[in-house]
Amino acid sequence: MTVLAAEGLRRSFAGVAAVRGVSFAVAAGEMLALIGPNGAGKSTCFNMLSGQLRPDGGRVRLDGRDITGLAPRRIWRLGVGRTFQITATFASMTVRENVQMALLSHRHDIWRMWCAARTRHVAAAMALLDPLGLAAQADVAAGVLAYGDLKRLELAMALANEPRLLLMDEPTAGMAPAERSALMRLVRAHAAVRGIAVLFTEHDMDIVFGTADRILVLHQGSVIATGDGAAIRADARVREVYLGSGETSGGH
Amino acid sequence: MTVLVVQLLTGIAGASALFLVAAGLTVIFGVTRVVNFSHGSLTMLGAYVAWSVVTRLPHTPAGFALGVILAALALAVLGAGLEVVLLRRLYRAPELLQLLATFGVVLIVQDTTQAIWGAEDLPLARPHWMRSFVAIGTERFPFYDLVLIAAGPLVLGALWLLLHRTRFGTLVRAATQDRDMVAALGVDQRVLFTAVFALGAGLAGLGGALALPDGSANLQIDLSVITDAFVVVVVGGLGSLPGAYLASLLIGVLQALGILLIPKLTLVIAFAVMAAVLVLRPQGLLGGTASTPRESAAPPLVRPAAPVLRAAGLALLAALIAAPLVVGPFALTVLGEALTALLFAASLHFMMGPGGMPSFGHAAWFGLGAYGAALAVHALAWPLPAALVAAPLVAGAAALAFGGFVVRLSGVYLAMLTLAFAQIVWAVALQWSDLTGGDDGILGLWPRGILARPHAFYWLTLGVAVAATLLLRRALYAPFGYALRGARDSTLRAEAIGLPTARLRLVAFAIAGAAAGLSGGLSAFAKGSVFPTYVAIGRSVDALLMVLLGGVQTMTGPIVGALAYTGLYDTLLLVTSAWRLVLGLAVVALVLAFPQGIAGAAQRLWRGRMA
Amino acid sequence: MLKVEGLHSYYGRAHVLQAVGFTLGTGEVMVLLGRNGAGKSTVMKSLIGLLRPRGGRILFRSTDVTGWEPHRIARHGMGYVPEERRIFADLTVAENLAVGRRPPRPGLPAWTEERLFALFPNLGRMRSRAGGRMSGGEQQMLTIARTLMGNPLLVLLDEPSEGLSPLIVEQMAHAVRALKGAGVTVLLAEQNFHFAAHVADRAAVIESGRIVWSGTMAALLADEAVRAAHLQV
Repeated sequence: MTVLAAEGLRRSFAGVAAVRGVSFAVAAGEMLALIGPNGAGKSTCFNMLSGQLRPDGGRVRLDGRDITGLAPRRIWRLGVGRTFQITATFASMTVRENVQMALLSHRHDIWRMWCAARTRHVAAAMALLDPLGLAAQADVAAGVLAYGDLKRLELAMALANEPRLLLMDEPTAGMAPAERSALMRLVRAHAAVRGIAVLFTEHDMDIVFGTADRILVLHQGSVIATGDGAAIRADARVREVYLGSGETSGGH
Repeated sequence: MTVLVVQLLTGIAGASALFLVAAGLTVIFGVTRVVNFSHGSLTMLGAYVAWSVVTRLPHTPAGFALGVILAALALAVLGAGLEVVLLRRLYRAPELLQLLATFGVVLIVQDTTQAIWGAEDLPLARPHWMRSFVAIGTERFPFYDLVLIAAGPLVLGALWLLLHRTRFGTLVRAATQDRDMVAALGVDQRVLFTAVFALGAGLAGLGGALALPDGSANLQIDLSVITDAFVVVVVGGLGSLPGAYLASLLIGVLQALGILLIPKLTLVIAFAVMAAVLVLRPQGLLGGTASTPRESAAPPLVRPAAPVLRAAGLALLAALIAAPLVVGPFALTVLGEALTALLFAASLHFMMGPGGMPSFGHAAWFGLGAYGAALAVHALAWPLPAALVAAPLVAGAAALAFGGFVVRLSGVYLAMLTLAFAQIVWAVALQWSDLTGGDDGILGLWPRGILARPHAFYWLTLGVAVAATLLLRRALYAPFGYALRGARDSTLRAEAIGLPTARLRLVAFAIAGAAAGLSGGLSAFAKGSVFPTYVAIGRSVDALLMVLLGGVQTMTGPIVGALAYTGLYDTLLLVTSAWRLVLGLAVVALVLAFPQGIAGAAQRLWRGRMA
Repeated sequence: MLKVEGLHSYYGRAHVLQAVGFTLGTGEVMVLLGRNGAGKSTVMKSLIGLLRPRGGRILFRSTDVTGWEPHRIARHGMGYVPEERRIFADLTVAENLAVGRRPPRPGLPAWTEERLFALFPNLGRMRSRAGGRMSGGEQQMLTIARTLMGNPLLVLLDEPSEGLSPLIVEQMAHAVRALKGAGVTVLLAEQNFHFAAHVADRAAVIESGRIVWSGTMAALLADEAVRAAHLQV
């Protein structure tokens, strides 16, 4: 079942085309990796899907519904969770309060001005933090968290909404190799059990080839290849513009 | 037609002097990221120094030119000194505390200047050559204004060459973007910063000296120039020199033509232009997207008050309730003022701390509340309690209407737009005399009946101010306050989890406006009158000082700040005539000693002991 | 070239570096391996003086530079290439390079624009382009070239492969080897083990602010137990 469908997405900045007609679909439970050289248009694609950028042309559909150009917060309410390339969390709150904030928003509590926020949705927040290994750090300020932990916190916040689709921009950057694969295994398990579609970008080829069901290669704003790991590795054009010889990326 | 041309040229001449000052401000801000509130004071000193030098030199064009150059050089040296002694120690401090410290300098310079040159305005006796005219059609145009017109583009060109064609300029532009990186590449940033500050101060001095013949050296220059220069810099786009020139031309010309067409509006033209530009082009005419400052310290967590603090608060409250039984009527008035100030500070803290919206024009809401309450009594003959309800409603409604424009901006731009609005309210209060009584204000607002007794009115003030302050505090601990803080910490993340950040900010802005309005209403009845000074810049600065002294990132900050500030102020007024000097020195010392504010420092000390 | 003894550094209250010590010989390429937050960047910032160490000593070219201002350390011959590619976005490529320029060191060939453009041909083609309008890979090359303009004897490279595509990482590896070929000593901080293994002579593993293993790269490659324990590769 298709959860997300992008149809002919286009976007230019100051006359320079960053994304020129990109189409693809992600199914429930599927992990799709979006890779390509720096400046190929990956982040622009991501930002159009989650509403940070409005496309110049093309459509974005979520479960068949047209969500093109909606504001990020509306897209979130329709079931899209997102993590960012440069992590974005609330530095003046604890780890648990960050997740509580997402839950408060999800449950339409944010206009309450009288009750104390700290005591709301505590159990639900812990239930999200626990499987990600963050329960012990629940009372630590998010502002002093190590980078890998911030990435996990972002994931917990993205999951607070019971999303249909997860958009993860370089989800494992800044983590140790073992942590990287552990995190992606966790994402995969969540995706399989709850039927979440996952779209992610990544520069670590071990992760890309190890976790993605399918890979989409972007170059100069266009899709130049799609397929499973073996097909992508064998693609001469992908080797030329992106993968190189593989000697510094683990032989991929 | 020629009248129009001459008026146009007059406007351009005025724009030149303004541009020089604004150019200095923008260069300093660009590199050091310090919003230098004392820049107007440097301009003022430039005028005074030029007066002293020029009056001693031969009254020839060469003598005048030499005097102007000497004044600019003197200010450059002074600016370098200021950088080395004070600002160098503040580069890592939060932006608003730097502002506070430079405001301390404003106060110090005020009293020092008065001590050296006296309180009288010092006009320059214009020599013959300066009084000559050139004929434009049937009109005569002052020769000296032509000199001014030429000065603007000349300085702009020279600065452009300096910044783009010299190594110094390349380093300055690089440091504007990333000063640590410049240092890591082997450049001594201290020398660079001192040089930039000297350059900026020199330009301020030059502007002050060149404007001297058309006016006088006087003690009002500092604040009037700094607001105009801020407006120019913000309209042009922070850090953009061509933008500053364009903006000063725009404002200078509109002001000159405005005098011709609608004389009553001259006070507000500059601010109306700024409001319009910021609404249409939030980054200013030629401003790029502002680079975010790097490595700003993460704001601290917000915890419920510790039991000790809670007990202290309750003890203080008990003492305040019992006060009328112990102290006399004068002390009671002072306490009442402090309580009003407390609510005023808490309302600013609400939007500025957790809301992340600094305001330089918080007096607007205070004044609207005061005038709203006054007019309810004066024009509608409402009783005091009803008027006290009207005060926050009037201010809150105005804040809600105006806030739609404000909440789209951030940082200095946002602060300046609030200032613009406050100045417009101030001008209306001053010039719509049929309604507001103009300069004479509205008098005879004393409470009647039982509230006429000082005890009763004091208790009313105490109840209203404390209840409102606690309500604000409660909202900050509630989901609304958390969501507001989330929008401040990371707008990106907030929107990505469904928070309507603009609406959250707007509601916070309106609440802060209403609370300030309530404080203004209380103040109107405490004083029995309202005047345009209720909306003046000084009042906004009071609020800023209180919040920043207390510590903007602590929940107790505004309470401590308000009490410390009013206490300091009232004591100083009693014991010394040079209160500005002492207050300025105290502010500077406090900022240097407690860069997190008083409550912030206490909190660190407390947590440090616990850890 | 560099000798670090018992270095302690803090961010505010957080004790980030706890008695870090290592030595680096002239002409060597050494890599600091460890996850984010282990203290790699903190070592780099402490060495160049952007962070003032609270304990320990840094001997650079036999001079104790502990507590010096960054510009003095840089002038003494240390170059710093930060993570996050802090280029001057509004300055052109040529101007970015000009900021880094320092007088040549006696007895050593100076880096010139021509030599750098030979090393990074892309940069030569965009000499007057604003730094902010370059791709991530090009910006990374510019930061390295900018640092080399100061004719450093030691270059600190903080995660040069971070966020770059495999092809660009390969070009980075060539650049690091070219530096070594030109006699420049290199201290690298990395998480990308494949990249590090390709360019480094020696390695040190840092964990929670402490060096937990150090030796030659060959030894690390041979010792599966150490890699599994500390690097999970």
